Amino acid sequence: MLPASIIGDRRRRARRHFRNVPAVPAGPFHQRTVMPGAAPAPEPWDLWPHADPGGRGTKGRDEATGALGAAACSRYGQPKKAAAGRAHARPCHPGVHLLEMVSPALTPLPSAPLQDIRNTVGNIPMEWYQDFPHIGYNLEGKKIYKPIRNKDELDMFLEKMENPDYWRTVQDKMTGADIKLTDEQVDLVHRLQKGQFGDVHFNPYEPAVDFFTHEVMIHPVTNRPADKRSFIPSLIEKEKVSKLVHAIKMGWIKPRKPKDDTPTYYDLWAHEDPNSILGRHKMHVPAPKMKLPGHEESYNPPPEYLLSEEEKLAWEQQEPAERKLNFVPQQYRCLRAVPAYSRFIHERFERCLDLYLCPRQRKMRVNVDPEDLIPKLPKPRDLQPFPTTQALVYRGHTSLVRCLSISPSGQWLVSGSDDCTVRFWEVCTARCMKTLPVGGVVKSVAWNPNPTICLVAICVEQSVLLVNPCLGDKLLYGATDQLLESYVAPEEERVQPVQWVTATMEEHSKGVRLVVQHSKAVKQVTWHGKGDYFASVVSDNSNMQVLIHQTSKRWSQNPFRKSKGLVQCVLFHPIRPYFFVATQRYVRVYNLLKQELTKKLMTNCKWVSSMAIHPGGDNIICGSYDSKLAWFDLDLSTRPYQLLRHHKKALRSVAFHKHYPLFASGSDDGTVIVCHGMVYNDLLQNPLLVPVKVLKGHAMTLDLGVLDVLFHPTQPWVFSSGADSTVRLYT
Amino acid sequence: MAQLTARFRTDNRRYAVEDVPFSVPAASETTDLSHLINKLLAAGHDHKYVEFDFLINGQFLRMPLVTHMEMENISTEEVVEIEYVEKYMAPQPEECIFHDDWISSVQATEEWILTGCYDQTARIWSLEGKSIMTIAGHTEVVKDVAWVKQDSLSCLLLSASMDQTVLLWEWNVEKNKVKALHCCRGHAGSVDSIAVDCTRTKFCSGSWDKMLKIWSAVPTEEEDEMEEAANRPRKKQKTEQLGLTRTPLATLSGHTEAVSSVLWSDTEEICSASWDHTIKLWDAETGDLKSTLTGNKVFNSVSYSPLCRRLASGSTDRHIRLWDPRSKDGSLVLLSLTSHTGWVTSVKWSPTHEHQLISGSLDNIVKLWDTRSCKAPLYDLAAHEDKVLCVDWTEAGLLLSGGADNKLYCYRYPATASDVGA
Repeated sequence: MLPASIIGDRRRRARRHFRNVPAVPAGPFHQRTVMPGAAPAPEPWDLWPHADPGGRGTKGRDEATGALGAAACSRYGQPKKAAAGRAHARPCHPGVHLLEMVSPALTPLPSAPLQDIRNTVGNIPMEWYQDFPHIGYNLEGKKIYKPIRNKDELDMFLEKMENPDYWRTVQDKMTGADIKLTDEQVDLVHRLQKGQFGDVHFNPYEPAVDFFTHEVMIHPVTNRPADKRSFIPSLIEKEKVSKLVHAIKMGWIKPRKPKDDTPTYYDLWAHEDPNSILGRHKMHVPAPKMKLPGHEESYNPPPEYLLSEEEKLAWEQQEPAERKLNFVPQQYRCLRAVPAYSRFIHERFERCLDLYLCPRQRKMRVNVDPEDLIPKLPKPRDLQPFPTTQALVYRGHTSLVRCLSISPSGQWLVSGSDDCTVRFWEVCTARCMKTLPVGGVVKSVAWNPNPTICLVAICVEQSVLLVNPCLGDKLLYGATDQLLESYVAPEEERVQPVQWVTATMEEHSKGVRLVVQHSKAVKQVTWHGKGDYFASVVSDNSNMQVLIHQTSKRWSQNPFRKSKGLVQCVLFHPIRPYFFVATQRYVRVYNLLKQELTKKLMTNCKWVSSMAIHPGGDNIICGSYDSKLAWFDLDLSTRPYQLLRHHKKALRSVAFHKHYPLFASGSDDGTVIVCHGMVYNDLLQNPLLVPVKVLKGHAMTLDLGVLDVLFHPTQPWVFSSGADSTVRLYT
Repeated sequence: MAQLTARFRTDNRRYAVEDVPFSVPAASETTDLSHLINKLLAAGHDHKYVEFDFLINGQFLRMPLVTHMEMENISTEEVVEIEYVEKYMAPQPEECIFHDDWISSVQATEEWILTGCYDQTARIWSLEGKSIMTIAGHTEVVKDVAWVKQDSLSCLLLSASMDQTVLLWEWNVEKNKVKALHCCRGHAGSVDSIAVDCTRTKFCSGSWDKMLKIWSAVPTEEEDEMEEAANRPRKKQKTEQLGLTRTPLATLSGHTEAVSSVLWSDTEEICSASWDHTIKLWDAETGDLKSTLTGNKVFNSVSYSPLCRRLASGSTDRHIRLWDPRSKDGSLVLLSLTSHTGWVTSVKWSPTHEHQLISGSLDNIVKLWDTRSCKAPLYDLAAHEDKVLCVDWTEAGLLLSGGADNKLYCYRYPATASDVGA
């Protein structure tokens, strides 16, 4: 039951309203009217919404009223008396210290309250009555009319200015009447705004008095034995737990649901490229660090840091920018004697300039170990076999040996020399088997590559001799002779650029079978792989430089109509009908079937001296007099795949091995350099070129070293002929 | 370390010393140890000075004792057992036989020396260096010669030549006349090597044409059938002068390069060395390839010793390699003897000593080896002025070497000492 005082108070207020008398204390707060001039309601005011569930029927209002009444009353100075019966069951604001005062003996409020409300419309939005002259109904059911308000803004302003109580005047929304707060009410508002208790006389900090002493006494306060309940498991709890267990089993609830670790915040930079450096970061250049002071900066430096007289003189004569130190180290007796540093401001300023003028762009310096730039090549000893040592010296010639050739079986070697002889050697013993005087300097020899024909072409001055050396299988060289003799001259005389002459009896006995007489000196001869055709190069400047001859028909032709430059050497392709012509700077590849130029290789050399083709036919090497060796991959480019500059002087000759991945070059510096040149079947893999050995042995004669190099057809051996009139074999 | 304790041991009772540990200077060499042994022997009874050679764990001592032990990882703390043998005396040069041209091959018996020469002849010499017979008939360089049979009356001998034939000659000793019995035709290249089997009825030839051919060495009166082109009467006539044509009994093909050397390692086993870096063993009866030993260099020469059952090969590098022909897994080099500086052109095992062999090389030196000392030879015979092409030795105590300086050198080696320590 609500204390009678509250009810009485409400009645009184209602009556006063009836009489339309303003200044009832509880009203404005109940109406939740905002106080003009008062600051936004502090936290304690939030109590009201809880206590004011609008439009929920009488019970709700009624509870609210009760509680409010209690609260209001407690603030109005009767806390203990006004403690509402329901207050303990209601969420209680810490500001309302009612709980401890609740008496369990209090009975709940009666359901039919004694309302003392002047306006009976209830807790409705008052704007519903906006368009009516009244604002509601009083207890008797009579309309409550709105007070006449005809004040305009100016009047409002004037009132604001003139009315000294304006600040404490509030409008009651329920009645529309202006209410002037009393001093007590204003004081209460202030106290509540400050978060203090409404009751001035209430002291929240009264000394606490224990119900029982805090000391543990030997006699308990109560000696009641423990409840049975306290040790018997609770059936209700058991039921609840079993329900939960069942729910867990059924999967309705999930215990220990894994925590979602995904962050709930938005990662602003998640999609940003970590490598892109933006804005100022890009420009960030750390300030240059100042050098730390050393011994020379000391006020008492070790004597070796002090400048001697000469050093001081030299220091003074140096440009300020060139000086190693920008001050002269000086010695003082003690720290006290050190004067102020005269250049301090100057140096600070310069430091500031340094920072201010420091470069605004970072220049990335490429920091590469030069070792890394060298391509990784396999070690030569992993690339064996290749020739390493000199094994045999073929002595017999008396002048420089210009050219070499070897029989297809690898048993015989032929060499041509400036001593006007051609010598035939047994390879494995260096025995000179035959010496053929030819009456002229031998420029080039070429053993027929066909193993069934025993024939050697020799260039002597203006003619090419076809010689049967009569070495090897008797049947073979006999058959070769027969083949040459079986030639039947055609009936009509053909016009040929050269003359085919059968050897005389005397020449025949020496082995010479045919003589091809050219108009000018011949400098090179080379066989086609089949062994019937051979090409010769004439020292000339016309289109007659290169001639192609057919042995079996004794027929020669001039394949070119125009001279494209001084031809150095020519070469047949080992498989396809291609013909390579090297001029001073270019190598031209002709297709003999289509009779057209296929390719023109730029050698990047000044003067090509020699040329050799890989047995696979797709790679060519060119040696040049400017000591370069160019490797061409015909499938790759018309430019050299690699340009090797291993020799110190002009290259005279280059050669490929038929089976092993080896090639060699001989040079005027007296050395033969053997390189590993692996060509892969896989077209995507580039050839691997590794220099493996420098072979020395030839003595320098007349500034000439090695004149020709040649590989053994089956073994990894290389022959070299030199200006010291020897031929050497390296194995 | 100044001193080492050593115990000396010998198999030769004549030179046995007390079996007690001696303290010897660590730096002592062979000569010092030899002096020591001689002093010990002289103390006992009358004794003539003898040079000794010393072996530690089967290896000849060729350097200061302590260095050798360090190299061989022998502990110097313990008593080291040193075996000593009478020093193998240096071969004494005896004759120098001059030829007209390079000597390609040599084979000697107890009485005569047969040489093949680059002047297309084979020559027979007495052991004293007297020229007895010059056999001319080949049209090309004679590459190899071999004795087939020696008799007091007549001898059979073979010569192989670059003209693709092997000629079987009969030499009548008394009349000193030589007659070509058979001309063995069939090779399509220079015949580089011939070898007669131990029954003296067959021989094998290896040629540049990659083939091995087995022929009969028994002279007959009939000519073998020869399927030769009929349109060459001139040559046919020529061969008739040189005896009856003979065709091979069997042809062994399998090498991919020229065959450089053949030999009979057993009655029915042929061993051939080739330029294709292999040594192949063949069954002579069936003509089957039995096994292949693969090296990595061209083989110039091969030799077999029935005493130690090892093959020695000389190849186009500096090493002489020893092989076990019975190993089935192929390439197994037991030992490399390295001291030459050029190609090893010929090797020959000693017929009497299981450890010794000689080798000739392109560096003009003939070396006498003991396989127990593989780093250094026993003796260098540096008499030749040009490439050495062939070596041989006889059981009678002669060492022979011929070369490109047209000289055949004979050395007398101490045959009696050969079995000491063996």
